[in-house]
Amino acid sequence: MTKILLVEDNEMNRDMLSRRLSRNGFEVVIAVNGQEGVDLALAEKPALILMDMSLPVLDGWEATRRVKANPETAGIPVIALTAHAMAKDRDDAMAAGCDEFDTKPVEMPRLLGKIRALLGLPD
Amino acid sequence: MRPEISGVEMGENAARDEMDHGNEATLLRATLENMSQGVAMYDARHRLVIWNQLFRDYLDMPDEFLGTEHTFSDYIRYLGERGEFGDVDIEVALAQRLKQLETHHRFERTRPDGTVLEVRRDPVPGGGFIAIYTDITERKQAETKLREAKEAAESASRVKSAFLANMSHELRTPLNAIIGYSEILSEDAADEGNTAMVADLDKIQAAGKHLLGLINDILDLSKIEAGRMDVYLEQVFLSRMVEEVKTIVGPMMTKNANEFVIDCPVDIGTLRTDLTKLKQSLINLLSNAAKFTKQGTVTLRISRVTQVDGCGTVRFDVTDSGIGMSEEQMGRLFQAFTQADSSTTRNFGGTGLGLTITKHFAAMLGGAISVASEPGKGSTFTIELPAETRAAAADGSTGAVLDPGAPAEPGAITVLVVDDDPAVHEVLAATLGKEGYILRHARDGVEALNIMRADPPDLVTLDVMMPKIDGWSVLGIMKSEPALEHIPVIMLTIVDDRNLGYSLGASEYMTKPIDRQRLIALIHKFAPGSEEGVVLVVDDDPQVRALVRQTIESVGLHVAEAADGAEALAWLDAHRPPSLVLLDLMMPVMDGFTFLAQARAVPKFAELPIVVLTAKELTDHERDFLARNTLLILNKSAQPIGTLGAALAHIASHNR
Repeated sequence: MTKILLVEDNEMNRDMLSRRLSRNGFEVVIAVNGQEGVDLALAEKPALILMDMSLPVLDGWEATRRVKANPETAGIPVIALTAHAMAKDRDDAMAAGCDEFDTKPVEMPRLLGKIRALLGLPD
Repeated sequence: MRPEISGVEMGENAARDEMDHGNEATLLRATLENMSQGVAMYDARHRLVIWNQLFRDYLDMPDEFLGTEHTFSDYIRYLGERGEFGDVDIEVALAQRLKQLETHHRFERTRPDGTVLEVRRDPVPGGGFIAIYTDITERKQAETKLREAKEAAESASRVKSAFLANMSHELRTPLNAIIGYSEILSEDAADEGNTAMVADLDKIQAAGKHLLGLINDILDLSKIEAGRMDVYLEQVFLSRMVEEVKTIVGPMMTKNANEFVIDCPVDIGTLRTDLTKLKQSLINLLSNAAKFTKQGTVTLRISRVTQVDGCGTVRFDVTDSGIGMSEEQMGRLFQAFTQADSSTTRNFGGTGLGLTITKHFAAMLGGAISVASEPGKGSTFTIELPAETRAAAADGSTGAVLDPGAPAEPGAITVLVVDDDPAVHEVLAATLGKEGYILRHARDGVEALNIMRADPPDLVTLDVMMPKIDGWSVLGIMKSEPALEHIPVIMLTIVDDRNLGYSLGASEYMTKPIDRQRLIALIHKFAPGSEEGVVLVVDDDPQVRALVRQTIESVGLHVAEAADGAEALAWLDAHRPPSLVLLDLMMPVMDGFTFLAQARAVPKFAELPIVVLTAKELTDHERDFLARNTLLILNKSAQPIGTLGAALAHIASHNR
């Protein structure tokens, strides 16, 4: 089963997204802050990371930078999730090394499309 | 002592002609008394010879002081002892005033009773001076009140904006849960075949999404009104944007069984504008059209238009075959919280803010929106944007324009000089300053970055060897920050004469992993408008080549590939020069350094734009090589100024 690491501090968002990812056939690993996200990326080697940007301990931009700076995790695609639908946020996320960008509230078909495209999975 | 309330003291010679001048003296007195200012005139020996009542009143000057018996210094000492100047050393205050008397001067003074006097003293021909006192207490009070009111208003506006931003976050969080969980339940119910529940859950979901739309609109409008809506300019590929818009509005069109027609030339190209705002504007117009049209047609037409004044515009027409509007309805259309008819809100929903926001957005992007309609015959909304967007703030708003690539006004190019050597600052200030460049100075990298972040300059000259952080690190940090990465950098370092000069061909380098957005931006910088251009990608990693190929082809350019420097040289030999070369440094057979050196040696490749792709960490050797080959290098110890001036002009025009 394809493993996805979900880094999200809001409990309800985490619950909703993880349930819906599971329903769509993904194995979901949870991290509740940026540091845990970086650690779990290394320990679990997920196929893809969904990264909230406003996170405690270590924010999503910095966590992404660290994931991308480590050769062992640099190849894992990262999708940034943020509530701010601003071009600046998108560019900041891309500058931090994110491969894709999506805004919250998550639209599941759109997000699934992006996940599948990055993983080379059929729709 | 004189009985008159004002005086005109006359010397002995004047007294002889008193009869003749009596009339003039009366006139002068009348003039003085009718002035709304206090006037005092002193002769060459600083004795008071002319004064009026207001002078006496303003300074509470006792009568025994009025007249030629005392000098200016006596008055000042008297006033000082009386506490008129506060707690200061009287002799110091006097010395300062006596010195000022040599020139025209003006100052404001608050008296112990709170009145504010403006004092003007001017030397008069032949010695002496005239002092004019104006009571500006009321003006000062009004200014203070105005300033306080302005500060209070600004503070209130800040509080309001912060409140709205926080509030919108607080509103959105529970709303996300409502939308998300109703979606999950709806999916569950669908799996169980419980269609009645699916319908109800979908209503909760739809209502939640509607509420979210309202919150977003209100937040947008409040940001616009507070002048806090930023314009973020980027190169927008119009046909790609249309595809995205189509995906979003498609379901709205099917809802009322409308046909959605897109009329957009394949070669429509790009527009420098704010993608998010343009997209949102079009979605607003299209969703309105879909809402007010049933079983009809909605058309989005995009075209390039040349105006009579020769300026190009890009025109977006959204035409529907819906219910249309009367003249009167159209008049109210763009006002906040109104729809063409208040009953429409009941029938068609919506916030009534969409068109207001769209109108503001169009203005912020330097364009305008217009409408043509007839009741029963449908409507056409048109947004027209300039083909060359110089971001314009919306009416009354002062939204910051985030456009790192925006050209400077001619003659107002700001150059930030970063060097720990004061001599370099002096030399540049003396030469470039005279040329009309505005110079700013930083002594080290940290200070430089702070200045750049606060107010990005048009150009930066960067010393390599500096304390704290060196020039290369500053450059690296600049290239990693979107607001700074576009600022052209000129490296200033000590090199020998034979390397003096510059090779602008590669004034850029990129780090890996490759940022797609940045790559596209670079391509547009170096290969603007050349739709048939070729980008030569030189990299030994086939994956990198494939990735870069995909990005480049997506913007309509062609790609040629070479696996090492030797292959690249062979390709260059056999083809017309490419628009751009993307060059990896570490490659087998022939590395990027050797390729650069050899390509450089061929005159026709001297101007070839080469963007170096590097891993983030450069070795000293690599840095040194890049210093000599990819950026402007000047010799501080030689005669850099002429070259630097030419280079600045070149880069400034290149950047424009």
